[in-house]
Amino acid sequence: MSNLSDRQLLKELKIRLEASKKAREELQTLSKEYQEVSGKLSESEALKSHFISNISNEIVNPFTSILGLSKAILSVEKNDWKKVVSMVALIHSEAFNLDFQLKNIFVAAKIEAGEIAPNITKVNIRSLIQNVIDSFNIVSRKMGIIIDLQYNVEYGFGKNLYFKSDSEKLKLILSNLINNALKYSYKDSKIIIKVSIEDDILQIAVQDFGTGISEKNQKIIFERFKRLDSGINSINRGHGLGLSITKALLDVLDGDITIDSKKGEGSTFSISLPEAKNMIEGFSGEGNDIFFDDDDEIF
Amino acid sequence: MNKNYLQYFLYPSSLFVSKEPYVVKTILGSCVAICIWDKRLKVGGMNHYMLPTWNGNDLASPKYGNIAINKLVEKLLAMGSRKEDLVAKMFGGGDMLEGSNGSGYMIGERNIRMARLVLEEKGIPVVASSTGGKRGRKILFFTDTGEVRHKFLEKKVY
Repeated sequence: MSNLSDRQLLKELKIRLEASKKAREELQTLSKEYQEVSGKLSESEALKSHFISNISNEIVNPFTSILGLSKAILSVEKNDWKKVVSMVALIHSEAFNLDFQLKNIFVAAKIEAGEIAPNITKVNIRSLIQNVIDSFNIVSRKMGIIIDLQYNVEYGFGKNLYFKSDSEKLKLILSNLINNALKYSYKDSKIIIKVSIEDDILQIAVQDFGTGISEKNQKIIFERFKRLDSGINSINRGHGLGLSITKALLDVLDGDITIDSKKGEGSTFSISLPEAKNMIEGFSGEGNDIFFDDDDEIF
Repeated sequence: MNKNYLQYFLYPSSLFVSKEPYVVKTILGSCVAICIWDKRLKVGGMNHYMLPTWNGNDLASPKYGNIAINKLVEKLLAMGSRKEDLVAKMFGGGDMLEGSNGSGYMIGERNIRMARLVLEEKGIPVVASSTGGKRGRKILFFTDTGEVRHKFLEKKVY
């Protein structure tokens, strides 16, 4: 190293300069990335605290009404039974909502803990969808909304399609979509649910004729805790988790979701869900088989 | 195989930790799985993440490397492990997409880099690894011995 010629020295210097330039550039991109992430983090933190105030309303309000209503029922005179029916209906709708929101929250917690795995069974798609629709019957009747199921699957056992998937997850996905459709619909309108299947991919589209979502907002609605009308005076209830859960659940099932919406004209949420395969690259997800090959490397 | 192991198939974006001896299996493409094993307690766990960093928008699930590794270590610590007893083995991060020569997303590569970064920061040594390349992998992790059986998968053309 002692006797470098000028030329060598120049070359070496050039190399080092280049290297330091590269390092600096890398540092710049890294620090930019870091800034972005920290910005997102603080935004997320703000959303989270907003979420907590939302969620406490979500849980406390239904409980308060349920408690109040049941107390009122207890003190009703016997000949006033008609009053009781309407109060029971209110209790039911509050409890239904509470149950639905709690399910969502628990599933979100499970997804975040990494404790979510598809539990594949043969699902009767038609009856599953019908069940989910029926569970929203009271809400939809109250709002005067007709839910129109267009079931366009021709084959299957007695037109009942048995499709390998995770019924609980599919139920929650559908419930979230229908719940949203109801929430953002106007009174006395309708919701159309189209079901079809193509190449073992199940397509379900939920269409409403409500407020609609602008193109800019379509990008952010899947983000957690994000709600488009998150102001304190917002008419709609909710915690902003529904769609991010829907998306995460579809992720687990290898499915996809797309939106087609125009502000003021309503929105269509379409999900596509491939039929689950029990076998993954030659071994089953839950079978009792372990194959040891001789060419296994051991670490 | 004298022992009758319980089995667990680890799906992407999930993680698994157990006190009981389990064999955890998974299939990896550009995803990365980190097996962390406690030398003292002879217990271990594994994650399987798909992308390097959480974007701050989705649910903070172990689909993302930085979250998945932190949560795995947290779970082991909650089971009574000490940080200094933990060792890690990492697998996956293959370059699965055809024609992604540098200009592509390099998801596999970035997944591996995230693992090294987070593990180094936590001071957990990586005692074995098989990463990169163009093929997928099948791995079996024995949570009691810390042994990992590893096999490359041949690429199928669809």
